[in-house]
Amino acid sequence: MSFSQAARDEIEALRPRYPTTEALLLPVLHIAQREWGGWLPDEAIAAVAAELELPVAKVYGVVTFYDLYHQKPVGRHRIRVCTNLSCQLRGSDEIMEAIHKELSVGEDEVTPDGRCSYVHFECLGSCDTAPMMMVDDDYHENLTPNRVRQILKGLK
Amino acid sequence: MPKVTINGRTVEVEAGTNLVDAAIKVGVQIPHYCYHPRLSVVGQCRMCLVKIDGMPKLQAGCSTQVMKDGMVVHTDVPEVEEAQRGMMELFLINHPLDCPICDQAGECGLQDYSFKHGVAYSRFQYEDKRTYPGRERIPLGANVLLNMNRCIQCTRCIRFTEEIAGTGELGFFNRGARVEIGTFPGKELDNPLATCVVDICPVGALTSTRFRFAERVWYLDKKPSICTGCEVGCNVTMEHRRGDIKRYKPRFNPEVNDYWMCDYGRATFERYKLTPRLTAPRLRAAGTNGNGHGVTFTSWQSALDTVHRKIQEAEGQGEIAVLGSGFLTCEEAYLFAKLAEGSGAAHRPVPVDLGPEWTIPRHQRPPIKGREQAPNRRSAELVGFSGSAEDLLQGDAASRCAVLIVSDSDFGQAAYSAEAVAKLRQAKFLVVFGWADSPLAQAADVALPVAHHGEKDGTFVNVEYRLQRFERAFPPPGQTRPAVEALGDLLSRFEEGWSNLTPGKVFDRLAGEIPAFAGLHWHDLPATGAALNVPGAAHHLSDQAAEAVSEASS
Amino acid sequence: MAFERVLTRNVGKPEALTYKGYRQLGGYEGLAKALKMEPDAVIDEVKRSGLRGRGGAGFSAGLKWSFIPKGKDKPKYLVCNADESEPGTFKDRLLMEYDPHQLIEGCAICCWAVAANTTYIYIRGEYTKSTAILERAIKEAYEAGVLGDSVMGSGFKLNMYVHRGAGAYICGEETGMLESLEGKRGQPRVKPPFPAVIGAFGAPTVINNVETLCNVPHIIERGADWFKSIGTDEKNTGPKLYAISGHVERPGTYEHPIGITFREMLEACGGMLKGRPLKAFIPGGASAPILKADQIDIKMDFDTVAKAGSMLGSAAVIVMDDTTCMVRSVARLAKFFNHESCGQCTPCREGTNWMELMLKRIEHGEGTERDGQVLLSICSHIGGNSLCALGDAAIGPVQSLVKGFQDEIDRHIKEKACPFPHRRYFEN
Repeated sequence: MSFSQAARDEIEALRPRYPTTEALLLPVLHIAQREWGGWLPDEAIAAVAAELELPVAKVYGVVTFYDLYHQKPVGRHRIRVCTNLSCQLRGSDEIMEAIHKELSVGEDEVTPDGRCSYVHFECLGSCDTAPMMMVDDDYHENLTPNRVRQILKGLK
Repeated sequence: MPKVTINGRTVEVEAGTNLVDAAIKVGVQIPHYCYHPRLSVVGQCRMCLVKIDGMPKLQAGCSTQVMKDGMVVHTDVPEVEEAQRGMMELFLINHPLDCPICDQAGECGLQDYSFKHGVAYSRFQYEDKRTYPGRERIPLGANVLLNMNRCIQCTRCIRFTEEIAGTGELGFFNRGARVEIGTFPGKELDNPLATCVVDICPVGALTSTRFRFAERVWYLDKKPSICTGCEVGCNVTMEHRRGDIKRYKPRFNPEVNDYWMCDYGRATFERYKLTPRLTAPRLRAAGTNGNGHGVTFTSWQSALDTVHRKIQEAEGQGEIAVLGSGFLTCEEAYLFAKLAEGSGAAHRPVPVDLGPEWTIPRHQRPPIKGREQAPNRRSAELVGFSGSAEDLLQGDAASRCAVLIVSDSDFGQAAYSAEAVAKLRQAKFLVVFGWADSPLAQAADVALPVAHHGEKDGTFVNVEYRLQRFERAFPPPGQTRPAVEALGDLLSRFEEGWSNLTPGKVFDRLAGEIPAFAGLHWHDLPATGAALNVPGAAHHLSDQAAEAVSEASS
Repeated sequence: MAFERVLTRNVGKPEALTYKGYRQLGGYEGLAKALKMEPDAVIDEVKRSGLRGRGGAGFSAGLKWSFIPKGKDKPKYLVCNADESEPGTFKDRLLMEYDPHQLIEGCAICCWAVAANTTYIYIRGEYTKSTAILERAIKEAYEAGVLGDSVMGSGFKLNMYVHRGAGAYICGEETGMLESLEGKRGQPRVKPPFPAVIGAFGAPTVINNVETLCNVPHIIERGADWFKSIGTDEKNTGPKLYAISGHVERPGTYEHPIGITFREMLEACGGMLKGRPLKAFIPGGASAPILKADQIDIKMDFDTVAKAGSMLGSAAVIVMDDTTCMVRSVARLAKFFNHESCGQCTPCREGTNWMELMLKRIEHGEGTERDGQVLLSICSHIGGNSLCALGDAAIGPVQSLVKGFQDEIDRHIKEKACPFPHRRYFEN
């Protein structure tokens, strides 16, 4: 598998923004992760390295540095629960428990139906609405265990 | 140039010199792991912290440059010593402390600095050490093994592959306390300079597959030597135990190999183990195959007498030829050339094998490259060898020889080739000098055991016509003698003035006679070698290029 | 005198999201005015206003701009730090999501002042909504001629791009951010050279926080004197966003004149959750040493908080009531710093890891009497010795725990368990 034409066009459109090709790495990895179904298998990393003409070890180093790039398969819905102090003070542990009970898989594991995977996460900048979690790109705030169960049930 | 004061001693340094380098000039060692003079400065090990008057915090010596007069630096004050103690503790909390089974023990930065700057106990008693299961002994490539548990994350190896080798196989993966080094899955660290990462690894994380468990390093004796793998002549330290060479380590010479050498060169001492040695002068009865039957060992005296007699008798019987070798030292080549002149030898070629091109990067000058698989063809030609060996090795020139003197039984692959040996064997009388009991030596009428380059003093002239001296690391075995002595005895049989030769005496005589060597003396050859006065030699070109580089960068 | 909101004046006005609406609300007047001024005069005005960086370090913004070498021979960059990741901080997200043009205007003025033709807004990867809003606003700004080849017809060229991070707190450190922008691991650089000399892509670069830049249009429009009239003294001036979270009734982002007391802030957000007593509060994000309840009357400005042994940082205030286990809270922050340490320098990589392990052990009731002293000693080895400020940040909460709450550590050790029953927030 390699980049789709749409992704290639997107990459080309980004090129004029930066004085170096290397600077495209983060945006291109975001694109690659979308293309490869939410994570970056070695094949995707190699494809990015080839696209930007960078040493693959360097690209791999970047992928492993950042929390938002994944090196193993994720669920169709990716759940990130903030557990940092402000959320911890408002019950994020119980949110984690509720998710664990509802999905019956461990952290960073994918539900058997491939629907969800979840992780605890560092501060997501929504401390005023703690506890909170991020499902894919959306913030869900002022959570309660009941609310979490509803949200999870609504994920297809 | 700005002045800097370090621990009370003031020194003038070039503007931009960092404190680690400046301190060396006043005899102060600032401990450091990540800093390496040829790699980019990253300031991340924090071992080189120093106190600078007027600065509130300790500063990293590697990333602090002396730009103007008046900087006052302390490395021996309590704050610095406390920081060093703290850093050593942090380096060691997750280190396996497996020195008894670690190859690096004895030359380990952690051991050295623990002894000097650390404390003898650990407060890390209740927590589990961080380990990298499955990554304790993973081959990064054919020659380098990684034990991630021992790594202190200095990233020298990564910067080496990026900045010096230019291949970038190694990367820094993950983040925080889980950072590790490695290659991308499925890729290998396989560049020709790969083992240099073992040299620059300050700890036992990267070890050499070849040297692993070969010897505890404190048993090694070390001598400055020259790699004989190609015509570059990388400066090496020959490390051996009682004459058994265990490894070559590159020895710093900015003019030649900088801090580096190639993996091919590192393995070249293996030839001394793989090929059987000649250990006593050997005569072969006419008509026998030299392989046990008809062979007698003899004294040097009688062997040299025989050679002397055969050369004298040759007149009218046929030609005399001397086959040179790119492995001879300058002094040996000179004496063989004298022998050739004295005996009227018409054929004096220096056959040299060509191999792949090896490239060693250098600082602020173009890389140095070598293809000839011998260290010293050039000096042989400067002292009087010339011509092609083709008619001897492939034609029937040898059959016209009354005496054929081969200067080195290991001069190249031909010495091991049945056809080439058969061609040379056509000479009426075949004399072979050498350390190796090669098929060619076995075919000789007289085989004379001489020292290999670890067993003698001498000089080589490299691809850029730089003359470099190396030292004897250990004595030759059995009746083996340095060729210079044996040749002296042989030449003495023809004329006065050749007895009791030493390489130094021969060199000074040579330098007085051969224009390219004019003005050089054995006892004051510079440690980095001396550029020979050869018009058009590559070193002149490289000096010009180096000037261009330094002009462009200033 | 009632305080008139400045930075958040458009919050709650959805029309501010569009160029037209923002213009009608009086937007881009500051930029228009700045473009008629000499760039140096703009820098002087900002310098004179006393505006200090709102990202955490509190360095004078005008001074920072003045470090950029003059002349147009080299490219220069503005990198807007929108990598808001300091635990407890959520103020920049508000500014970007409710008033994106205010940020664009601030960036444009800064670029005019330092002659930079490119702005990168480095936004944390998790802020997808802010990214979308900003990108839409930037597109409109190009269409309206506020960005592009001739900013508001002045002939000044300015491009602005949003650059998404990918989840790493350390990229909020300015040189870590530059590395990340250049497509590398976000490992902070050795300084000097400072970004003003060698920054993004080797060129002089200004790096300012979102909130800092959002202040700029107002300073230019209304003058440094007006700005200085707000605040505690001439070193702590202007309006300030305080992000309050934890055990309070109405957590949120509040705009106050800088230097309001913590008590007043607490009152403004409805007081403590369920009226429970205050135990401690963190005045400036996870990096700031914890203050105890007896500091309730502290003026929340840069210098007063610093004098009290903590820091205003990003002004993210995390409030803890009497049911809070301080060991557990600090252990959580230690986990954060361990997770976010980039791993390149020894004290931070090894020290934050060790501290997290120790604090967890104490929390689990397996502490020893020596642990407090060992923690302080680790802190002293990290503090000031790490390559970037993350090391210093990581020790703040730990030091304040050992120094201020030794009794709680002792109780954990003596009772061989956490003495605070873990509070349940929700009925299941």
